[in-house]
Amino acid sequence: MTTTELTAVPAGPAPAGPASAPARVRRAVVKHKRAILFFLLPFGVLFALFYLLPIGYAIYQSLLVVERDGTFGPPVEVFGGLTQYVQVFQNETFWASVGRVLLFGVVQVPVMLGVALVLALLLDSPLVKGKKFFRLAFFVPYAVPGVIAAIMWGYLYSPNLSPFTALTSNVDFLSPQFVLWSIANVVTWVYVGYNMLIIYSSLLSIPAEIYEAAKLDGASQLQIALRIKIPLVVPAIVLTAIFSIIGTLQLIAEPQVFRSFTASVSSSFTPNMAVYATSAVPNVNLAAAMSVVLALATFVMSFAFLKFTQRKANA
Amino acid sequence: MNTRRSLSILALGMASAIALTGCASSGSGSDAAADCTPADGPVELTFTSWIPGIDGVVDLWNAENPDIQVTVQTGPNGNGGTYKNFFNQITAGNAPDLGQIEYDALPNFRVQDGLENIAGCANVLESQDQFIDWTWNQVTFGEEDAVYGIPQDTGPMAMFYRKDLFEQAGIAVPTTWEEYQAAAVQIRALGGYITNFPQNDVNWFAGLVWQNDGQWFDSSTGAWDVTLTSDASLQVADYWQGLIADDLVSKVPAWTDEWNNAYNTGSDWTWISAVWGANSISSGAPDTAGDWAVAPMPQWTEGGTAAGNWGGSSTAVLKGSEHPYEAAQFALWLNTSDEALTALAEAANLYPATTAGLSLPVFADGVEFYGDQPIYDVFAAASGEVNADFTWGPTMTQTYADVADGFGQVLGGTGTLGDALTTGQEKTIAALKAQSIPVVE
Repeated sequence: MTTTELTAVPAGPAPAGPASAPARVRRAVVKHKRAILFFLLPFGVLFALFYLLPIGYAIYQSLLVVERDGTFGPPVEVFGGLTQYVQVFQNETFWASVGRVLLFGVVQVPVMLGVALVLALLLDSPLVKGKKFFRLAFFVPYAVPGVIAAIMWGYLYSPNLSPFTALTSNVDFLSPQFVLWSIANVVTWVYVGYNMLIIYSSLLSIPAEIYEAAKLDGASQLQIALRIKIPLVVPAIVLTAIFSIIGTLQLIAEPQVFRSFTASVSSSFTPNMAVYATSAVPNVNLAAAMSVVLALATFVMSFAFLKFTQRKANA
Repeated sequence: MNTRRSLSILALGMASAIALTGCASSGSGSDAAADCTPADGPVELTFTSWIPGIDGVVDLWNAENPDIQVTVQTGPNGNGGTYKNFFNQITAGNAPDLGQIEYDALPNFRVQDGLENIAGCANVLESQDQFIDWTWNQVTFGEEDAVYGIPQDTGPMAMFYRKDLFEQAGIAVPTTWEEYQAAAVQIRALGGYITNFPQNDVNWFAGLVWQNDGQWFDSSTGAWDVTLTSDASLQVADYWQGLIADDLVSKVPAWTDEWNNAYNTGSDWTWISAVWGANSISSGAPDTAGDWAVAPMPQWTEGGTAAGNWGGSSTAVLKGSEHPYEAAQFALWLNTSDEALTALAEAANLYPATTAGLSLPVFADGVEFYGDQPIYDVFAAASGEVNADFTWGPTMTQTYADVADGFGQVLGGTGTLGDALTTGQEKTIAALKAQSIPVVE
């Protein structure tokens, strides 16, 4: 309370003019300091407990190595510096899985976002009838939990149990050559509606006057879509792209489910599966180091993508 | 500068704290059989298991032992999540008193210092004679004055086969692996498969190696000798590689609807499996009731009687239990008393690890699904033929996963089963070294 009074005193006699505006803003902020802290507290506590603390613990675990004496000597965890990180960088299986999801992402993310954008534009077009129905229909797959979706598609792909055996017994969608793209299809099916909705809501926020002006200038619907709508929803597309990049690097549920349908998905098919398999050994220290490397890679890639798109927008 | 120095002090502090706790825990290590005395008052125990119907069996004990009450917690099967939970609980110091651990996972728990040595508890060492030899070796690791669990059940292997189909086709029931291969060719010509090669059941494959007198691990010299690529092991691998290459076996993932379907529709004719597999067939292929029979495993040498083993569990007292005495008494009752063994057989088809248990009345009768054949006679005979000296490695979850990945590649058309074992061998050695577990070079 004293802080507020102290700042309130010099703010009062301040001369009118441009300088008074920042002063007033500063005073308002300080005035609610306790209230702000109070309202931030639940978030802060939960964020620390379930986010910062686990990350800190993972980093701590990743710096330890196990030592023991003899065949059955009890394990002793000692500080090992970056030993586990050296192991991670020498781990071919882990990097093969990273390469696999990168390939997956390079193909799947643009396809999914492209489809999402087209669907959003169609929904936004004045020429389309039954928008409510289609909006719901496109979004419904997202309401199906990822694991259920993977099980469903697993059966659809299955060579002997699929309702489309005429196709699946000739083309093995679960073979080592195809399985990555069969998984990409499942992921696209689930998330395209979700991404469409983000882009569509961004389209809805474009003021109607802009369209009016465009129409007066004689722009067709296609031109409006290409010249006005797409440039204005780029921020939404960037957002969905970042979510998708993160999602791709963290892929685990769908390939894990597919393991019960095919021998083509190995125990370390994606980086997260490799982490999971390593922690089951149990080698938690190496698994922790893998998680930290994966988290950093995700962060760097998302950030790089953001910087890249921002520079493009500014240019 | 200040920040950096305080950080390094912090790191040092952390490191020494860990070193200290490490020393403390190794001080109270499990090397010697600790004193094991009964508690003064009533005791409550917790027991985690994934046997269906286990709570009904434990109720029998609770009714008779008001002072030692056991609470059952059920979970997914071991590699499906329960082992991971155990490891975490042991690290956190709140593991259940007793846990179900399969023989192939015991060395891993031993290496992670997760088991109490209950050799000092009354009646434990005395019970050795009741158990089938090989199961006792599994829970003692061949050490003197050490018992790390009470054997519960076993999985002696035999051959389940479609008696009706073999008779119709006029194919003799194979008794050697050579005949089995010849039968596979005949069956393939009729449009069927003799069996399925299960990519993920690496422990099944190990059972076949076990039958061939092979070993995957040996810890008797004080360090771990990893021998996935021993001659016996490679002989089994080459044999199945031949069947896979000639398209004589189906390749669907085991334990799936597709796999059940292959047996239910009569497309797969045999299954080399353990005693508990009897239930898997009757529940997975209900349309084939009455058509199956059981014969001993095919042999590598004509007239041989060798058998492998697939699966089986022990009841172990986990590290940190405050009542090892009571826990050991419960584990002994659960796995040696006629009452408990009969209840376990009825609830979950468990096949006992005691010699007396094999002749319980519950195993004497013919089984309707198998045309009233007294199938347990075959398994009881197989049980006596299982090599007593088979040793599991200390990181079997990892070994299984890596070998299964290799097997998966073979089924996808790349490499051989022998290559998969070689890769599994290399990765296992790397995994052992990563945890400072000594390896024979």
